[in-house]
This record gives sequence, C-alpha cells and structure tokens, in this order.
Amino acid sequence: MTGGGKRSGAAFPVLAAALLGALALSASTGPVPISFRAAFDAIFRGTDDTAARVLLSLRLPRALLGALVGGALASSGVAFQALLRNPLADPYILGVSGGAAVGALSVALFLSADASPLLPLCAFGGAALSALAVFLLARRRSGVSPERLILMGVVVGAFLNAVIMLMVTLAPPGKVPGALYWLMGDLGLGTPRRVAILFPYVALGTVLLYLLSRGLDLLLLGDHAAFQAGLSVERVKTATYLTASLLAGSVVAVSGLIGFVGLIVPHGARVLVGSGHRRLLPAAFLLGGAFLVLSDTLARAASPAGELPVGAVTALAGAPFFLYLLRRNGRRS
Amino acid sequence: MSGRVRIAVARRFLLGCLPVVALLAYAIDRPAFAADRFPLALKDDRGVTVRLAAPPRRVVSLAPSLTEIVFLLGRGGSLVGVTRFCNVPAAASAVPKIGGVSDPDVERIVALSPDLVLCTTDGNPREKVRALEEMGIPCFAVAPQNLDAVFAAIERLGVLLGAADRGSAEAGALRRRARLARRSSRDAEKPAVLFVVSTAPIIAAGEGTFMDELVSLAGGRNVAARYSGRYPRLSVEELVAARPDVIFVAGMAGVERFPEEVTRWKEVPAFRDGAVITLDGDLVTRPGPRLVTALEGVSAALADWRTGHPKAPAESTGGKR
Repeated sequence: MTGGGKRSGAAFPVLAAALLGALALSASTGPVPISFRAAFDAIFRGTDDTAARVLLSLRLPRALLGALVGGALASSGVAFQALLRNPLADPYILGVSGGAAVGALSVALFLSADASPLLPLCAFGGAALSALAVFLLARRRSGVSPERLILMGVVVGAFLNAVIMLMVTLAPPGKVPGALYWLMGDLGLGTPRRVAILFPYVALGTVLLYLLSRGLDLLLLGDHAAFQAGLSVERVKTATYLTASLLAGSVVAVSGLIGFVGLIVPHGARVLVGSGHRRLLPAAFLLGGAFLVLSDTLARAASPAGELPVGAVTALAGAPFFLYLLRRNGRRS
Repeated sequence: MSGRVRIAVARRFLLGCLPVVALLAYAIDRPAFAADRFPLALKDDRGVTVRLAAPPRRVVSLAPSLTEIVFLLGRGGSLVGVTRFCNVPAAASAVPKIGGVSDPDVERIVALSPDLVLCTTDGNPREKVRALEEMGIPCFAVAPQNLDAVFAAIERLGVLLGAADRGSAEAGALRRRARLARRSSRDAEKPAVLFVVSTAPIIAAGEGTFMDELVSLAGGRNVAARYSGRYPRLSVEELVAARPDVIFVAGMAGVERFPEEVTRWKEVPAFRDGAVITLDGDLVTRPGPRLVTALEGVSAALADWRTGHPKAPAESTGGKR
C-alpha cells in the first residue's frame, strides 16, 4: 500500500478534466471527417446526416462505454485489492474471466449461427456463476479468508481454462474466432442501447462500493483490527465481493476481457490521492475511465492494419506510464 | 517444364484435328510417358527435392486443398489419410483421418506407411513435417500464393502423382474458365468491394489474400487493400467511411450475417442496395481448384452490380432514405 499523506486537492478537477478531454478526443477521432461545426449541430440542433449519425451512434456511445468500462474495472480492482489484501488482485482474479469466456464460447459453439446477441448475456451468466462458485467454495463457518478466496479462485480458474482449451480445440473450424476476438476485449460493440444497459449496473456497483469505503479502509488493517473497530467484517466482505464481481461481470459482458486497467489503475490512483477509499474509489473511476478511453482512441487511430485489440493497447501504452508513476512515487516516499 | 508443355500443346492439337490419331497416340503415349518420368526428382515450394522411384500408391494429404487436387487428378484412390477438414469431394470423407491441418498426428501418419505426404508451408507445422521426413517419408510442400500458382501446383502434383497429362489438362481447363470469368470485367466500371471473413467483429481480406486477388481479377477495387496486414479488423465507422458498393462474406459457421446495428448504415451502398453476397468460405480460402468457382461467383456478382449501375452512374446522395 502506498502511503496516504498530503495530496493536493487538485487531483479531482484534474482527473475529471482528463476524462472529459479523453471523451472529446475520442469523439473527434475517426475515419469519417467531422468538423467542429457539424459536431455542434449534431448535438445541439439534431441534424441527421452521416457525420451526425457517426458521432451520435458510433463515437459517443463507444467513448461513453469506454469510460464506464474503464471506471468500473478500476473500481472493482480497488475493491478486490482491499478485500484480498493483495496488490496483485484484479477484477478477473477470482474466476470471473474464465466463467465469462466459457459462457461466450458456449454461445459460439452450441447455439446456431447469429446467436451473437446472446453472447453478452451468457458471458454475464458465466461470470456470475463462477464468481458465486468461488465464493461458496471459499466460505467456511468462520467466514471467508482472503487466502481461501484466492486459492479457490485459482483452482476454479484453472479448471475453466482447461474447459476453454477443450472447447477451442474440439470446435469445428470457423466457429471460434468471433468469440476469441470478443474475449480479447472490444469496445466496438458500443451502441447507445448497450451503454444504457450497462449504466445502471455500473452506477449501482460503484455507489455500493463507495458506501462500503469505510469498511474497505478497515479491512486493510486485517480482520481482527476491523472487528475491533466495530465492523461486521463478514458482511462487508460478502457485500464487497458480490458488488465487485457484479461490476466485473457486467463489464465483461459488453466489452470482453480488457486487462491491465483493473490491476494497475488502482495503484496509479493511490499515488494521486492516497489509499483512503472515500477518495480512492472516485479517483480510480475517473482515472480508469480516462485511461481506457484514451487507449481505445489509440487502438483505433494508431494502426495502419485496422483496429488493434484495446486490451493489447492498455498494457502496451499503460505499462510505461504507470511504471513512471509508481517509480516517481517510490522515490519521494 | 517446357517439355511437358510442348507435349500438352501437341496433344491438344492432335485432339482438335485428328481424334482417331490422337486416341491412338494417347494409348501409346501414356505408359511410356509415366515411365519417362519415374524415377523422378522434383523440387517443392520449400526448395526441398523430393525423389520418387515410382508413382506413389499410398498418399497422405495434410490440407483440404491438396485433397481436392488429388481427387481432381483422378488419384483419389491413392489417398490413405486426410485431415478431418477434408470434406470435398464427398469421397474424401471416407478416407481415414490423421488429425487437423495444424495438428496432424505424426504417429498415425507413420502407421499408414505412406510413400508420399503432401503438405503446405502455411498451415502445417514445420516440425511435424520434419519429423515425418526424419522417418524417411518424402514430404512435398505446396504453397501457392495466387491463382496462377494454384494452376501450376495442379500441374506439378500431376507429375508427382504419375498423372501429368491429367494435371495439365485440368490446369488448362481451369485457366480457360478463369480467363472467361475475367473477360467480362475488362474496361468496365470498378465497384468498391469489401470482402470480409467475419462480420462481428468485421475482419476484412486485405492485400495478399486470395480474396483480394479474386476481387481485382473480377474487376473490383478492394477497399480493404489500403490497410497493411492481410486480415485487417475494421470498425463500423471505417466500413461506413469506405462505402463499399458490394460486400462479399466468406461464409463460415456463425458469422455469416451482419448484425442489424451494422446494416442500418444505408450510407453504405451495399447495404442500401442489398448487395451483400455470401460465398462458401471454403471456396475462397482453400488454394484449390474451386477458387475458379469462387472467381466465377465474384465476377457474376460484379456483373450484376454493373447492370444496375450503367456507366456514369448518377451518384445519389448517401443517407437519403
């Protein structure tokens, strides 16, 4: 855990500006040229030409989806890191990713052609089921310990990985690539409808986590200390686990598996605002959103070979940036 | 090479002018011809020289396209092993399976004691082929990168399998069909064409693919050729910006239709006019004889488009609905 200490109060305006700037940059980048004037008309006067429709039904939904997904992943990562008291925890550590992958591949393999609308639903189902399974397996009468959660998560994850490999190997040719691409992480599915579907889940999840923030602070001190401080530890753990899994599962369902954001953005946010969760959670949401929107813009614009998978860009562009952030912080403290 | 061509030309001439003499010549020529060539040493596409003492009688094919070619050459009876993807012609399904293209089972192949294995350099793992060669099994690799190379490969496999005449005849017939399919497109309007191998996500066939070649041979302009990479992935916006007149879908299970959220972009002429054509995915991705069938399909579709868009098309404003 990086030390809290005195952080400038300017962090939040800067982060909010970064997110807005990222959204604007994303909305102004793309192969169809859209003038500032056309964008203004599209948003405020309701014009209906190609430029307006590209802006309103492709670019803005995609940018907003990126903000929601990035924010949700970062928040979920913060929660898992506190719950498991492990800086290496991320939203996918406890079987969510494997469950989502099996759900997505099942659609591709067992349901007939053009069942792709069902894919998010089944991915969500798979993620929820495996997260629940890990939780129930790890729970004992005395409660849930981080060690058992991680152990069960790893075992269930390994099992699901084997299932994934079997499915990919035994699948008839041509059936799998779509699902695999989807699993690599893709914000291209951003439609106004998907954004509208995802929004309540993310809103509910992040608000719940925010309400749990005092509990998360205490969890970091250890179960015993938290209990001493008057916290009903098991209830906080259960609520945190279910909320963070809900966030991760709903996000996986609309965007596939986007790595790195949920693992590293929480650390970056900690450098900026300290590790008190009341500040850390909103900061991580804003930073995660801005970061993913920028990564997606880069994924769309940077490559001459069409689109890159955004999951590759997050790590490729993000790793050096966060290394810098963490090293700088390390030198200071 | 030139000797074989000369013989083929001579034979065609005889067949055309003097059928009786030709038949006689054929009957006399054939056994002598085969004996001429064996023992034979032929360089494959890796540069490896493959030596055969006699026409092979137990052949294993490691790719669907090669299986198709072997049957085309009339040597399907010599196949003792094929991949699980070899489904054309129907008789290929009855041949024992040796695994897939990327995961052939070396032990199973060796157990079949083949005297020749046919493989490709862009699909079969190199180590597995090397393992077979170390067991003393001759492996002949074919890797045609364009239509002409496919025809040449058919001729070479004809020589290798002791069916040289059949090979040059079939290759000649395919060349004629390809020429015919191309003829209609000369000096015609060049529609903007997008050829996709997947509809969700949109993955297009770019430069260096057979699909790109088919489009340009049929007189179209592949809008995905400007991306680097053979299979660029496009966003919906890139598709809208490219405005293809005709879209071909290489049909594979599961991804044949565009989702409604893509097809509702009527700025794209292909969506507006319903010019989205599904072709059998095997046809356009297997470097075998049926590429010509695919070329005929693409060519016919573009001809259809041209009849709907006579020269100097009055460009309607996009997006008008």
